[in-house]
Amino acid sequence: MTYLDIQSLQVDFLQQNKSHNVLNDVNLQLPQGKIGVIIGPSGCGKSTLLNVLANLNQEYRGRVSINGQLPLEHIGTALILQDYGLLPWKNVWNNIQLGLEIRKIAKEETKTRIEAILKKMGIADLKKRYPAQLSGGQKQRVAIARSLVLEPELLLMDEPFSSLDALNREEMQDILMQIWQETNLTILLITHSIEEAVFLGQKIFVMSACPGTIIKTFDNQIAGDYSSRGKVEFLDMCNTLRSYLRKES
Amino acid sequence: MQISRIGWKTVQFSLAIIFIFLSWWVLALLLDTPAFPPPLPAFASFFHSLQGDLLLHLRISLYRVLASLILAATLAIPAGLFLGKNPRLDQYIAPVIYLTYPIPKVVFLPVLLILLGIGDLSKVVLIALIVFYQILVTTRDASRNLQTEYILSIKSLGANSKELYQHVYLPGCLPAILTSLRLGLGTAMAVLFLTETYATSTGIGYFIMYSWSSLAYDKMFAGIIAMGLMGFFLYILIDGCERYFCSWLNP
Ligand SMILES: Nc1ncnc2c1ncn2[C@@H]1O[C@H](COP(=O)(O)OP(=O)(O)OP(=O)(O)O)[C@@H](O)[C@H]1O
Ligand SMILES: [Mg+2]
Repeated sequence: MTYLDIQSLQVDFLQQNKSHNVLNDVNLQLPQGKIGVIIGPSGCGKSTLLNVLANLNQEYRGRVSINGQLPLEHIGTALILQDYGLLPWKNVWNNIQLGLEIRKIAKEETKTRIEAILKKMGIADLKKRYPAQLSGGQKQRVAIARSLVLEPELLLMDEPFSSLDALNREEMQDILMQIWQETNLTILLITHSIEEAVFLGQKIFVMSACPGTIIKTFDNQIAGDYSSRGKVEFLDMCNTLRSYLRKES
Repeated sequence: MQISRIGWKTVQFSLAIIFIFLSWWVLALLLDTPAFPPPLPAFASFFHSLQGDLLLHLRISLYRVLASLILAATLAIPAGLFLGKNPRLDQYIAPVIYLTYPIPKVVFLPVLLILLGIGDLSKVVLIALIVFYQILVTTRDASRNLQTEYILSIKSLGANSKELYQHVYLPGCLPAILTSLRLGLGTAMAVLFLTETYATSTGIGYFIMYSWSSLAYDKMFAGIIAMGLMGFFLYILIDGCERYFCSWLNP
């Protein structure tokens, strides 16, 4: 069985006492250690899908299994929210520490782990700052650090780089690829950017407008290949994706 | 930069103090009555009275107001956070709060005097009852309006209910709670004065009214200064708490 296996997932929300179908018959498979990217029109239910995987929404129908477990049972999942979700009243260090505290990791180990991740993300100088004192890119790094410090198996990211400028965005994409190569992480990422999908996604899932469903899955050979940015295959892949998305909106 | 900011603050406060004392002095000259003495004699009388029984009354009043604020806060803060976190329950409680909030609770003073006696308890309960509502409503609204992304992000780290209160609800609502305490303090002082003017022979309220009825205007004004300074120092105390616990607001 595939590591991440979603079958006939359906989610409905109550809106003004009317049931509103947001996800309909979503099927998605992602093998362990791969990077999957979901792309689709705004409001089609992408965040809703990640919330189900992160066990923030238990009211769904269908089958969702992560490494053979229900989202509720799988503790190795980390989620990075669309707007980072950093707590403004905790400084960078304490924000990163929070998950370790909740999982009751010993003090010594907490300290070494945080110091290592701060260094890796290049934010060691910022550890005493509060989120309000950080730029968008720095907040993003802290949010990633807060998830990675838990040493997750599955990393869910909701439009992680959408609010960054082009240079910062490429740098963060490179950092993410680097982390992925060093660990055995499975990543499922949402994006609005076609280029980002093609650069990061070994599997690309195209979603339809609301009610969202997966209309097409691509296996993308050139993912993670720095030299491919700007080459013909890269642009071809982008164009194929673009035409699918056009049909949807 | 840091030093000049502190220096500037000192200048601002000194100017404010000078302004207040000048206006007081001018007003006293204009009114020209023993009931409203100028600053210097008033403070002289204050320090003189402190050597007498004023200190005792001050201590009792301070105890009453602190006890009621603490009582109100310990009940209202958890209740407010809880109601804000559980909108389904709040749906039933909110109308009860809405209907009882506008009732001026001071009118229950005679009832409380009969039920709880003329000692400190009836005063503390009345002040606490009034301040309780202010803190409860503010805390509940702050808790209800906390951004969901904070809650979701902590939930996704695996937090249970206790950890949600500890890391999100309490620290996130603390600025609003401290604001409501500050407003509550003003109300508490006013109600304190009122409760101390009936059926008691202790407290600054009593001291002021007794001095008034015995035409000892200098003592009366000493009591007024004592009451004012007490309010001022409690206010600074809450301000200090805000600076200490909510340092993230002005990093
Ligand atoms: N808690 C909720 N209650 C009711 N409706 C909701 C809730 N959360 C989301 N929805 C609705 O579900 C739909 C999908 O929302 P979702 O946030 O999953 O979209 P999205 O694909 O992530 O959009 P975007 O790209 O803009 O982030 C929207 O129409 C939204 O209004
Ligand atoms: Mg979204």
